[in-house]
Amino acid sequence: MEQFFQQLLNGLAVGGIYALVALGYTMVYGVLKLINFAHGDLFTIGAYLGFTLLVSCKLAGMMPVTLAVLLVFVLAGLFVALIGYLLERTAYRPLRRADRLSAVVSALGASIFFQNAVMLVSDARTQVFPDFLRPTFTVHIFGMGVPGVRLLIIAASVLLMLGLWAFIQRTRTGAAIRAVAIDQGASRLMGINVDRIISLVFLIGPGLGGIAGLMVGLCYGQIDFVMGWGYGLKAFIAAILGGIGNIPGAMLGGFLLGIIETLAAGYIAIAWKDAIAFCVLILILIIRPTGILGERTADKL
Amino acid sequence: MKKLLCTVLLSVAAMGFVCLTTAKAASVKIGLMCPLTGKWASEGQDMKNIVSLLVDQANARGGMNGMTVELVVEDDAGDPRTAALAAQKLASSGVVAVIGTYGSAVTEASQNILAESEIVQIGTGSTSVRLTQKGLPLFFRTCPRDDAQGVAAGAAIVRGGYKKVALLHDNSSYARGLAEESQAVLKKAGVNVIFFDALTPGERDYNAILTKLHAADPDLVFFTGYYPETGMLLRQKKEMGWNVAMMGGDAANHQDLVKIAGVDAAEGYFFVSPPLPQDLDSQAAKDFLAAYKAKYNSVPVSVWAVLAGDAFKTLEAAIAAGKTDAAAIAEFLHGLKGLQGFSGELGFDAKGDRLGEFYRTYTVAKDGHFALQPK
Repeated sequence: MEQFFQQLLNGLAVGGIYALVALGYTMVYGVLKLINFAHGDLFTIGAYLGFTLLVSCKLAGMMPVTLAVLLVFVLAGLFVALIGYLLERTAYRPLRRADRLSAVVSALGASIFFQNAVMLVSDARTQVFPDFLRPTFTVHIFGMGVPGVRLLIIAASVLLMLGLWAFIQRTRTGAAIRAVAIDQGASRLMGINVDRIISLVFLIGPGLGGIAGLMVGLCYGQIDFVMGWGYGLKAFIAAILGGIGNIPGAMLGGFLLGIIETLAAGYIAIAWKDAIAFCVLILILIIRPTGILGERTADKL
Repeated sequence: MKKLLCTVLLSVAAMGFVCLTTAKAASVKIGLMCPLTGKWASEGQDMKNIVSLLVDQANARGGMNGMTVELVVEDDAGDPRTAALAAQKLASSGVVAVIGTYGSAVTEASQNILAESEIVQIGTGSTSVRLTQKGLPLFFRTCPRDDAQGVAAGAAIVRGGYKKVALLHDNSSYARGLAEESQAVLKKAGVNVIFFDALTPGERDYNAILTKLHAADPDLVFFTGYYPETGMLLRQKKEMGWNVAMMGGDAANHQDLVKIAGVDAAEGYFFVSPPLPQDLDSQAAKDFLAAYKAKYNSVPVSVWAVLAGDAFKTLEAAIAAGKTDAAAIAEFLHGLKGLQGFSGELGFDAKGDRLGEFYRTYTVAKDGHFALQPK
């Protein structure tokens, strides 16, 4: 039983990251019906940016470590948000009226561009975050020792998601985002600046992705230029699992995928965990083609 | 003037002829085939430097058994086709034995050519098992076979007194092979393998695997994969507060391992690996590397180049014992045992495979450096 709870916590930590990244996919899909394949690479950029600021620019040496890390989280989030905005302006907006496939190809191209840019700017080698940047305390719950970093990851992802949820549901801008997701033409008639809303979505999604990337880098200590691919793929699946275009769905899908994966690894076979996770995905999609919380069918892609 | 020039030329030619005939009577030609160009050029350059230095040292001592040693070097470019040409050139240059080369496929391309010309060949970086399974009586190697690492790892586990071992690989053919060989060795030695599974390389979070391993309660975790995953496992194992011993194979031999894991988590981790040249602890190796450094102002990059020096040592022993033709040298080498080489004791079995343990154990010390364990 103790092992079960331990695995559940492991799954929540992995799933929290999936969920944060999945939010970026699902928000963009919601408003544009476009799968932003470059999202995983924005995640990588977040991790590298944090590394550059903390280690190469020695920000961590200039102020208390906790403060430096928090500041870098904000900076990385903002900077990746800016890159996301520029990505939308250069790679997607000119293709808004073009064939849907063109935008998908453009997204794939952007992904390859970012991946290679990161490799060329930094190095093809794995980069390692120094140890002192991470909190090392252990929390004891029901007699189990749980590394504090994992709890922080879970807490931070839940907080960010709740914040986003409140923003979407409770503010006028959030209502505008929801309106654009439902019908762009009608939103425009209601006086909503659709382009501005889309830009906003491309600030929020990548920003959260960049923060998730930095969280992974700090928590697990090592980053490489292809790390976004694996997380991007899993998060994409999490978004579909929860119902793409649906924000609570992305959160649910992320946590669910993380938990399924760890339980499969823990109780069936480690080597088969991805295969089992994908089988569950297929089963859920057979029963509910729109995903668990999905309202519309993902028929555009 | 013209007449003078003629006389000088003639006398030089005559002198040269005299020299040549006397040298022929008291010299022995040894070939060295190595990649001086191509992707492994640095490896080949080290091989050439090492063997040339040894030849110089031998000649300075008065040669082998009274004969001066002549070294014939041919470039194989790390490419099987070039290697075949190099082998033919060596065969027609009258060498009695050839040292080399690096790369199993490259060595294989030269094997039959040298065998047909009745020349002894001693491979140095040619670990593929099948090279010595062809029944070639003149082929030897100073490097271990691909499957020797599993034996070495098994021996290290038995020496450490571990009883319940968990084996973990990453599904790469290298890591899987090592895990399976180690499992076979451990089974024979009566050590329980209580866990055998694979993780997915390149992931960040291995807590699920570690939690499962923890429940199986092994006294040693042997992960046969590469250093990035090893570093993550060590670090996350430490964060779980689990203090089980962990070991690895030579794919873990990279300084970034300690950076990824953190010094605290890496301390005490051990792995089996070929020793690095600067870590070789025999007196012969230390003296030789000092001489090498004095002459070339560098240290050989990998241990595989040092194995060319070991190959030369075995040939030196054979020739010093009065064996001059290929068949006699081969017979001597097949019976060779316990010769002190740079990388440990040298000897060959009936197939020409190296005898004696070549793999060593490294342990991560308190300050994070890899400390070679005494045998």
